[in-house]
Amino acid sequence: MVESTPLLKVEDLQVSFKTDESQVRAVRGVSFEVYPGETVGLVGESGSGKSVTNLALMGLVPKPPGRIDGGQVHYQGQDLLKLNDRQMQSIRGRRIAMIFQDPMTALNPLMTVGQQLTEMTRLHLGLGRKEAHRQAAEMLELVGISGAEKRLRDYPHQFSGGMRQRVMIAMALSCEPDLLIADEPTTALDVTIQAQILDLLRDLQQRRGTSIIMITHDLGVVAEICHRVLVMYAGRVVEKADAQTLFADPKHPYTQGLLRSLPRFDQSSDTLEAIPGQPPDLGNLPGGCSFRPRCPLAVDACQSRDPELMNLDGRHEVACLVAQEAVDV
Amino acid sequence: MSETNPSPIQSPTVAPTSVPGASPAAPLLSVEDLRVQFPFSRGSFLSPQRGVIRAVDGLSFDINKGETLALVGESGCGKSTTARAIINLVHPTSGSVRLEGVDITRLGDREMMPYRRVVQMVFQDPFASLNPRMTVGSIIGEPLAVHGLASGKDRKLEVLRLMDLVGLNPRFLNRYPHEFSGGQRQRIGIARALAVQPKLILCDEPVSALDVSIQAQIINLLMDLQQRLGLSYLFIAHDLSVVRHIATRVGVMYLGRLVELGEAESVYSHPTHPYTEALLSAVPVPDPSKAASRQRIRLEGEVPTPDREHVGCSFADRCPLVVDKCRFDRPVHRQISGSEKVHTVACWERG
Ligand SMILES: Nc1ncnc2c1ncn2[C@@H]1O[C@H](COP(=O)(O)OP(=O)(O)O)[C@@H](O)[C@H]1O
Ligand SMILES: Nc1ncnc2c1ncn2[C@@H]1O[C@H](COP(=O)(O)OP(=O)(O)O)[C@@H](O)[C@H]1O
Ligand SMILES: [Mg+2]
Ligand SMILES: [Mg+2]
Repeated sequence: MVESTPLLKVEDLQVSFKTDESQVRAVRGVSFEVYPGETVGLVGESGSGKSVTNLALMGLVPKPPGRIDGGQVHYQGQDLLKLNDRQMQSIRGRRIAMIFQDPMTALNPLMTVGQQLTEMTRLHLGLGRKEAHRQAAEMLELVGISGAEKRLRDYPHQFSGGMRQRVMIAMALSCEPDLLIADEPTTALDVTIQAQILDLLRDLQQRRGTSIIMITHDLGVVAEICHRVLVMYAGRVVEKADAQTLFADPKHPYTQGLLRSLPRFDQSSDTLEAIPGQPPDLGNLPGGCSFRPRCPLAVDACQSRDPELMNLDGRHEVACLVAQEAVDV
Repeated sequence: MSETNPSPIQSPTVAPTSVPGASPAAPLLSVEDLRVQFPFSRGSFLSPQRGVIRAVDGLSFDINKGETLALVGESGCGKSTTARAIINLVHPTSGSVRLEGVDITRLGDREMMPYRRVVQMVFQDPFASLNPRMTVGSIIGEPLAVHGLASGKDRKLEVLRLMDLVGLNPRFLNRYPHEFSGGQRQRIGIARALAVQPKLILCDEPVSALDVSIQAQIINLLMDLQQRLGLSYLFIAHDLSVVRHIATRVGVMYLGRLVELGEAESVYSHPTHPYTEALLSAVPVPDPSKAASRQRIRLEGEVPTPDREHVGCSFADRCPLVVDKCRFDRPVHRQISGSEKVHTVACWERG
């Protein structure tokens, strides 16, 4: 991984949704960078704001009920949040592409896979008909679909679940984007197929140098393919570190709790240490640290403010007063 | 709502389960050469194709008192159908399902009643399996009414005891399912299953829809209840980490058949069938320092639809070790050599 200028820099992103009862603060001041060629993991339980964070930087938050309350997304000298729809469209799919848990949300059931692949490259890359067709076949081969020429004439429903995921990856990568955002791409798949898809992503990254944001709730997937990890809780990033450090020496009590509550495949364990309670209602947050009601380490001071991320030792950031104090001493 | 350990057990007001014809020496559950086939027709009107889906294709296993047998394998391998056949929700094409020695596969609905008390089921999606218009109290109390086990004040007391047992605050007696989180709905499902004092609970992906922190609460609850009540579980899951944690024994399924069966420790530390090896090596481990060095065995392609008859081994087409014999002779389960643990594998090349 090259330590250079970031490809993408998200600063203090804030997103909320207006509902009948309240203002749901889905993303509350999220900041992070993505460097060229790296995979950044975004992990957290459902509802922690992972998908909304990424929808926001793609300009895809439905408005209303959604609203961007603040922040910047720096990409190649511009703030993506300030672009109009047309400008954003030339970036989406071309420079930044997305893949989802359910491939059918990205594929048109009424068009053949070949039509969809060539439409993308003809529009974004200005390829001619023949050239686009040749490139589409190449892409299918690249993602491990054999008999590509023939399969280009098939419709999405003619592919199995794992193969459809590959088709979506082929589509996402066909314009050679700089950044691929993968939102739970393997969550619906069986583990042997998941392993194939993770291998594929790893391999494509190596060959093409694409940066990846991997959104997942599965800490195993994070450990398998991410270089750096952001842990999200209730709309905030509570810990940020390289993968090795995060798993070996988690600092935030939430991250520690997650790892302790995980049954281990590679070793036998007695009782799991569950985190008591459940995540807070984002429309009605407790004062102070949002993890406080479930935190085994909470002290009085945790009631007074929701702590900011603080750099502990060079490259390990954590948003927890207790962990920060421990280092200060 | 309370998530702490349930308070000490009070004795139930319901009499313990007993079934006609039970023989105390027999295993609690004994499944023998079970087959479940679903006929299908597809193709066009002019050239219809008929065939059968062999969802369960000759399955044999026992479950003893107090143990957890886990069935693992990829979607479509027949786990749920096996569970449904055990409680007679689908009719087996052949084979037998014995509860304490009594074959229940040919019993009618009325004759099945006492056996339905012995075996209960907990599902993946607690929301879909709970009636949204019934209060928690009536959901948990319903089986008591159906089986005529308790009524009036007794029933209410028993429901409160069950809620306490699964860690639900009794104050929520009159609330509706939508007012609860996923983890708590699963507690409601478990309380309802426990109401008739079953001996065996079939858990079909009971924690798959839950986030890890909540998943751990439910796994702990299931294991705690097992200890206190001497329950047996058939635990169906695709998460192999969860299974390692909860199972006494593990059966690995492929296309409706068991390819490997043994004590959990043994299967996880010495996976022997080539499919088990591939399956286990595909599980992502939450430890980057191990991820790099792990041996990976990658299968190509995907599990086919079980619409073909396999004379030999059903894994032969994808197996890296395949020899001629595998295509023509169905491998029988053999104890693996060199292991003191009970651990069998159906493979001609291994074992
Ligand atoms: N269209 C929407 N309308 C209202 N609330 C929404 C909408 N989309 C997301 N949310 C809320 O935003 C929060 C974060 O959601 P999301 O980013 O999807 O979580 P994650 O991806 O981490 O599971 C959740 O509380 C969710 O209910
Ligand atoms: N009612 C049914 N009719 C036809 N086919 C079915 C039915 N139920 C299950 N199947 C098929 O039987 C096979 C096994 O399914 P299932 O037992 O649900 O697998 P699992 O629970 O392991 O994912 C699959 O191919 C499935 O499509
Ligand atoms: Mg999401
Ligand atoms: Mg199933």
